[in-house]
Amino acid sequence: MTILFERIARHPWLVLLFVVLATAGFVSQLPKLTMETNLERMLPEGMDAHINYLKLEKLFGTSNMVVIGIENNGADGIYNPHTLALVEELTHWLQTRKEFRSLALADLMSLSTIKDIRGTADGMDVERFMPHAFSKPEDIAHLRQRLMDNGLYMGSIVSEDGKGTLIVVRPARNMAGHYHEIYELLKEKIADIEQRGGEERILITGRPVIEGVFSIYMPDSMKKMQPLVLALLAVLLFISFRNLRGVCIPLTVVILSELWMMGTMAATGIPMFTVTSMLPILILAVGIADSVHLITHIRVEAARDTSLDRQTAIVRGMQAMWAPILMTSLTTAAGFLAMLTSDILPMRYFGVFAAIGIAYAFIITILFIPAIEAVLPHREQAMHKLAFNGYLNWMSRTVVERPRRVLMLFAVVLLVSGYGLTQIQVNSSLVSEFRPSDPLRHADEVLNAHFAGTNALDIMIDSGKQDGVLEPAFLQGMQSLQQLVEADPLVGDSASVAEFLAEMNKVMHEGKQRFKTVPESSQLAAQYMLLYSFSGAPDDFDSFVTSDYRQAHVRIQMKTDSSAEAASLLHKLEAKLADWFPGATVEFAGTAYTTHRFSDLIIKGQIQSLLLALTAIFILCFMMFRRWSDALLAIMPVSLSVIVIYGIMGLIGLPLEIGTAITGAMALGIGVDFAIHYLYRYREYQAQGMTHADIVQHSNHDTGRALLFNALVVIGGFLVLLTAPLYPQVKLGALVAGSMAVCYLASTWLFPIVLQRSSRHARP
Amino acid sequence: MNITRTYLAILLLAGGYVMPAWADPTGLEVMQAADAREDGDDLRQTMRQTLIDRNGNTRERVMVSFRKDEGKDKKMITFFLKPANIQDTALLTYDYDDPEKDDDQWLYLPALKKVRRIAASDRGDYFMGTDFTFEDMKQSPELTDYHWRLLGSATVAGHDCWKVEGTPASDDIAHELGYSRMIQYVSKDTDIAIRVDYWDLAGRELKHLKVTAMKKIQGIWSPLRIEMKNVQSQHSTIITFSDQHYNSGLSNRLFTQRNLKRGYRE
Repeated sequence: MTILFERIARHPWLVLLFVVLATAGFVSQLPKLTMETNLERMLPEGMDAHINYLKLEKLFGTSNMVVIGIENNGADGIYNPHTLALVEELTHWLQTRKEFRSLALADLMSLSTIKDIRGTADGMDVERFMPHAFSKPEDIAHLRQRLMDNGLYMGSIVSEDGKGTLIVVRPARNMAGHYHEIYELLKEKIADIEQRGGEERILITGRPVIEGVFSIYMPDSMKKMQPLVLALLAVLLFISFRNLRGVCIPLTVVILSELWMMGTMAATGIPMFTVTSMLPILILAVGIADSVHLITHIRVEAARDTSLDRQTAIVRGMQAMWAPILMTSLTTAAGFLAMLTSDILPMRYFGVFAAIGIAYAFIITILFIPAIEAVLPHREQAMHKLAFNGYLNWMSRTVVERPRRVLMLFAVVLLVSGYGLTQIQVNSSLVSEFRPSDPLRHADEVLNAHFAGTNALDIMIDSGKQDGVLEPAFLQGMQSLQQLVEADPLVGDSASVAEFLAEMNKVMHEGKQRFKTVPESSQLAAQYMLLYSFSGAPDDFDSFVTSDYRQAHVRIQMKTDSSAEAASLLHKLEAKLADWFPGATVEFAGTAYTTHRFSDLIIKGQIQSLLLALTAIFILCFMMFRRWSDALLAIMPVSLSVIVIYGIMGLIGLPLEIGTAITGAMALGIGVDFAIHYLYRYREYQAQGMTHADIVQHSNHDTGRALLFNALVVIGGFLVLLTAPLYPQVKLGALVAGSMAVCYLASTWLFPIVLQRSSRHARP
Repeated sequence: MNITRTYLAILLLAGGYVMPAWADPTGLEVMQAADAREDGDDLRQTMRQTLIDRNGNTRERVMVSFRKDEGKDKKMITFFLKPANIQDTALLTYDYDDPEKDDDQWLYLPALKKVRRIAASDRGDYFMGTDFTFEDMKQSPELTDYHWRLLGSATVAGHDCWKVEGTPASDDIAHELGYSRMIQYVSKDTDIAIRVDYWDLAGRELKHLKVTAMKKIQGIWSPLRIEMKNVQSQHSTIITFSDQHYNSGLSNRLFTQRNLKRGYRE
């Protein structure tokens, strides 16, 4: 290795030329980079939620609907000619747009399309509530009365208070992956409408829109955060190194690493996912550690012995540092590679590309820094002018003189975190990843408060035989199911063919309420279906029952997309299904189910990847230190930080979900660096025969200083994310910064004390 | 502006006068001929409906139906024979030519043992779970609903046809019927539209109707097999007709609620 460093120091221009050429090569690939915004692509192929989703789409059509809410807080609410005309206009407009489906009633539901089943003196009548936009007051009053009498659309299409109405539309099949375009299109249309004036306020939400906007918004805001992170890194580097060179060199290293990594991603043709869009910022903050350590050491070497010539100082710094830097790069990469155990494809890409980025950062650090240091003019810097001497001295004194106090403090933290750990919850909700002020989240909350709910839980029940759905017992089962779920305050509405048949039964019995029950025989049910088909469109039921009446679909609308709420509802249901539908096959699908299963996968993957990362890092540490006890010591601070971070999440009620799950393995990989650097230095000084107090003093001033810079820079870089527009970024920032802080404190304050005590026992 | 239009109209009219007798008919004339096609004063036939959903599942209904013309109005009664769970269900329809007057419909449900009056459907509504709307079921569309334009001649399944494009006369009509455009291929010898293509309101191709078999029965060209495929939903309907008897002098008593209840006897 020494020969390599000497060569670099002697021929720096050659090395720099290589770095420039390689960078040009990677940058030339960047235009090939593509984006993947289809969240369905994140699900593993064989996952039941995914299979069921495809089945639902095939049999009944997806329940992923775009929701447009029209609100009018005027005296008459939506029941005025202007608002009704607006509903008709929007409905007609949607029918003419290729981005949406409007074939069946279930494809496009609005006041202009929904139908009333009504008993007449001698029969039944199925007709649209509003065949054309009403303008006469008596027609409008009549419309309101009919909607109320019918009841089926109360809460799902019109709000109980009469202030709002929804237009619910299914996106066209080929729009998957382009849902953000639907949002843009609707926003534009609505801006046009609002420009004309009127009392109405129009809101847009629905799962496709939320997913589409999220998956575009996230990479976009990540891009916008980047200059901020860079600026903060620059400031922190300046505080640490107090000169321009100390700012520019590390920044160059990380920017190059990022370009190389993204260039590799582009060259391999792997698209950028929502999750992997966090990679650039991650590499900026993580990749900087190596260069901070290396520069600090070259400085310390130069300052220690001012008689050294520049080249020798560089070579000595490199000699001292290459092994721990390689080691920490390996452990960090191992932490990320542990994500390969995840079932979720983008998580795996995240792990792989983070590891690649770290490898690049290592290569660039080890080539570029000695070369550029050799090229740049040499400048003296005395040891005492290095920053943070006061803090480092105070830390050394406290650790050596008052170890018990430090230990007590950590013990308390550990206890509190341990309690927090038991409180941790698993929950994920895409909507709550948006800030409350975001118009999309606001729209979703308003519409969920006034209407049935924008999140679907779909139940598909296969009776096993033709016409099986029409059997009275089966229909009764669906009614019982609906009664149970509708008792849940978070369920806004549910719908099934049983509900329609009960309504028809009532209508066919002179509207008597006691006949609002499922038909008493399957013949009667079949005849009602036929009857309906003469005056209503038969595809009105396409989304609820297959044409052979063998399989049925119960659609449940939930007011929240929280996976925990879905899990508890599913739990309640599963206990009863066998009673309601003996011998039938029941399958779940829909947003709520997908989120719930996804959440399960994340947790399973999380535990696996944490254990794998710990094991890998442990083995790597053993290979480096050649002692089991040292390897164990090295993973102690990170284990502590994982406990503390998840403990805090438990205490403040931040649930585990995809964003926060990434943090665990990441924190392990990055955080272990501190312990390795410290341990490496400590053992080195120990081998020189120093006393514990001296080792602490010396280690704190070289490695300890670099660790402090490193911690400040990484923590600062991640804290910038607190200002990001989406919560996954905020959480990532806060959690990584927090775990870095814990790792740093544990490695520099707790570590020397534990080292001293364990050494005392091992070698008296 | 007005002057220009009048001038144009005069030109067109004049053009009409000078056109030789062997010139192509206008789109409207082709459609008028199709509309006026002879279909007998009454008809009894058996209908078999096969509904095929996009997953290939089929559902079949068999019914026997009677039609009698009374001036420009029509009376129809249909008895369902299959499947078993709707056997003996029967539908009686009085279809009035006057567009202002809603059709009358009654349905007998054997499971309830009651005759129920059901309100007329919107013309753009789908008919009995098929891919046909009520309007599609008619011999030809309401001629005033569309602007007709002759696009030329075309050969469809070996038949020499007039190719006529229809565009809705107004936005309201387009929304009522659900189409933004249709092309009718009207056979030159039989005046039967043997193929019709429909486009939805967003301008996407929606449905294809094909008459795949026809025959002259008692001197009247009669479709034997009609296929309607929705190319968007991949759902399709095949209707076959058999046992046609034209002009057998069906009694008015056949088309009553009483008879609806009594059911069909061979």
